[in-house]
Amino acid sequence: MLNLPRRGERIVEQLKRLVTGIEGLDDLLKGGLIVGSSYIVQGRPGSGKTILANQLAFNHVEQGGRVLVATLLSESHERLFQYLATLSFYDAEKMGKQIQFLSAFDTLETDGLGAVVKLLRGEIARQDSTLLIVDGLLNARSRAETPLDTKKFISELQGHAAFAGCTLLLLTSSRLEDDSPEHTMVDGVIELGEDLHGARSVRRIQLRKTRGSAALSGLHEFEITDAGLKVYPRIESLHSHPSNQGCETLARVGSGIGVLDGLLHGGLPSGSVTLVMGPSGVGKTSLGTAFLGASTVQAPGLHFGFYETPARLRLKAQALGMDFTALEQSGALHIAWQPTTEGLLDDVGARLLRKVKELKVKRVLIDSLGAFTRLATNPARLNEFFRALMGELRALFGSEINAPAPELSSIVDNLLLMRFVELESELKRLLSILKVRDSQYDPALLEMVISSAGIDLQKAFNEATAVLSGTAATVERS
Amino acid sequence: MSTILVVDDEYLIVDIIGYALEDEGYRVERAGNGVKALEVLEGLAREQGRVDLIITDYMMPLMNGEELARAVRTQLTLSSVPIILISGAQASIGRDNPELFAAVLDKPFEFDALIATVKKLIGPAETS
Repeated sequence: MLNLPRRGERIVEQLKRLVTGIEGLDDLLKGGLIVGSSYIVQGRPGSGKTILANQLAFNHVEQGGRVLVATLLSESHERLFQYLATLSFYDAEKMGKQIQFLSAFDTLETDGLGAVVKLLRGEIARQDSTLLIVDGLLNARSRAETPLDTKKFISELQGHAAFAGCTLLLLTSSRLEDDSPEHTMVDGVIELGEDLHGARSVRRIQLRKTRGSAALSGLHEFEITDAGLKVYPRIESLHSHPSNQGCETLARVGSGIGVLDGLLHGGLPSGSVTLVMGPSGVGKTSLGTAFLGASTVQAPGLHFGFYETPARLRLKAQALGMDFTALEQSGALHIAWQPTTEGLLDDVGARLLRKVKELKVKRVLIDSLGAFTRLATNPARLNEFFRALMGELRALFGSEINAPAPELSSIVDNLLLMRFVELESELKRLLSILKVRDSQYDPALLEMVISSAGIDLQKAFNEATAVLSGTAATVERS
Repeated sequence: MSTILVVDDEYLIVDIIGYALEDEGYRVERAGNGVKALEVLEGLAREQGRVDLIITDYMMPLMNGEELARAVRTQLTLSSVPIILISGAQASIGRDNPELFAAVLDKPFEFDALIATVKKLIGPAETS
C-alpha cells in the first residue's frame, strides 16, 4: 500500500534527510540534505568546497553510509589526502573501505561524458554508495559539446544516483548563474564565498536553491578550523520565532540593589530584558555586578562579557563588597569572557544562547552590546540581530542587557539611564528608570554612590534643576 | 628487458611512474584500473609476452588493487609475479596481505625508494 500524505499533512516533513553533521549547516538545510537529491557546491578555489564535501563524507560514514568520491580533475588525490589528514574528521581507517576515491578524468578525456556516467553508475552499485561526490563539474561542461549535453550528463547521473538511493554532490569552482543548465537540473545549490571587510576576511555560505525544502536563506558566516567547517546561521534567521513563548509572569527579580528594587516596586519583571545606557565609567558594570551578586545556587547568574577578564571582574566585585569567587565555587555564578579580538557576530550570539541554555542560568549580564556591534560586518542587520537574540533570551528566561544603544529602546522591556551630572563643582552619577515593562515605577532622578560597601541610590537631585542637561543648578529657595 | 605493469586510475601517477621506470630502462605497460590491467595481462599472454612486476594503486574503479592482486594470484602463469602496492591510507592492507604484495610503498613516496624496491624485486633493467 502506498503511504500517501493525508490532506494537509506536510510532505516536507516526510522527506528523508542526510544529516551533514557540519555544525550549523543542518540548521540552514532544516535538517540536512534530502536523500536521493542532487546538489551543486560552488565557490572559487580555496573557498572550502572540498573540505565541506569531505567533512560531509566522513560524517556520513560515521552514520553508517558509504561514500564514493570521483574527480573529473587531472589533479592527484595524494595532495588532497595529505591535507585532509590534518583535519580532525579524517579517519584513515575509512579510506578504501567506506570511502572510495577514484579518478574519472581519463575516462572523461578519452571516452566522454557518457562513459563517465556509465563508470559512476557501475561504481555506485559496486560500492553500495549512499553518497556520491563528483569534483570538477566545470570539466564536464568543457567536455560537453552543447548545453544540452551538460543537462543530459547531470540528468543521467541524478537518475542513476536517485535510483540507488544515493545523494549526489557536484563540486565546481566556477560561479554558475541561476539560469545555467547545471542549476536548472539540480535540487539545491550551496555557494561558498569570501568578502573583505577592511583588512578582515569573512567567509560566507548561501543556499541559493533548495528545491522541495524550507531553508534558512541569505548569507551566513562560516569559518574553517582544524575540525572543518563551522557555519553560524544568522541569529535573526535562526531565531526569527523564539523557541517558546516564554513565561509571562508578574514575578520580580531582585536587582541586587535594595533601593532600586523599591523604586521598581519589587524588582525587575521576571523574564525581561533591561538596557542600561550611559557613558563609559558611569557605573554600568558596577550596577551589573550588583545584579549578578544576587545570584544564588537555585537561580544562578552568568556574566557574558568582553572587556573585564574574570580576574578583573572578581576584583571589581570585591571592591563593591561582593565575593564572586565564592559564588562561582558554589555554582551560583558563571563567567564567560570573550576576548574582543576578531570573531563572528553570530558565533558569539550562538555561544551566549548556548551558555544560557546549558547552565540554566536565571539572570545574565551582557557587558556590553557595543562589543557585539564591533563584530558586525553588516551594521544594517544589527537591530534585527538584537531583536532575535533578545527574543530568544526572553524565551529561555530573560536577561539583563548593558550597553549604550538608544535605538534598541523599542526592543527591550526595561530601560535604565545613567549619566554624569555636574552639581556644585562635583561630578555625580545619575540613574533614572525610563521604562519598566507593564509596571509602575518611581521616575525619580537618583544619585548612584559606589563604595566598598556596595552601591547605594539616593534622591540627591531634589534641590537641583536642569539635571539631565549634565550641568545641574541648585534651586534657590525664596 | 623486464616489463612492468603500472596500474592507477590517476593517469598522471601512471605517467610519472611509467616515465621514471622507462628512464631506468624498463619496458612499461599502463592501465587505469584492475579490469584494464587484467586485459593488458591477457594481451601480453596472447603475444607470448610476460610481465615481470606489477605496481598498483589500491582505490580504483571497477576493480581495486587487492582484487587485482587476488585475480593475478589465481592465474598459474602469473602466480609468482611480484606486486608492489602503492597507496596512502590503504598501505596497511598491503602489509596485512604479504601473500599478495611483495612490497608496499606509502604515498607520497620518493622515486629513489620505488626504483630501489623494483631493483630489489626484479633486478636492474639491463640484467633482468
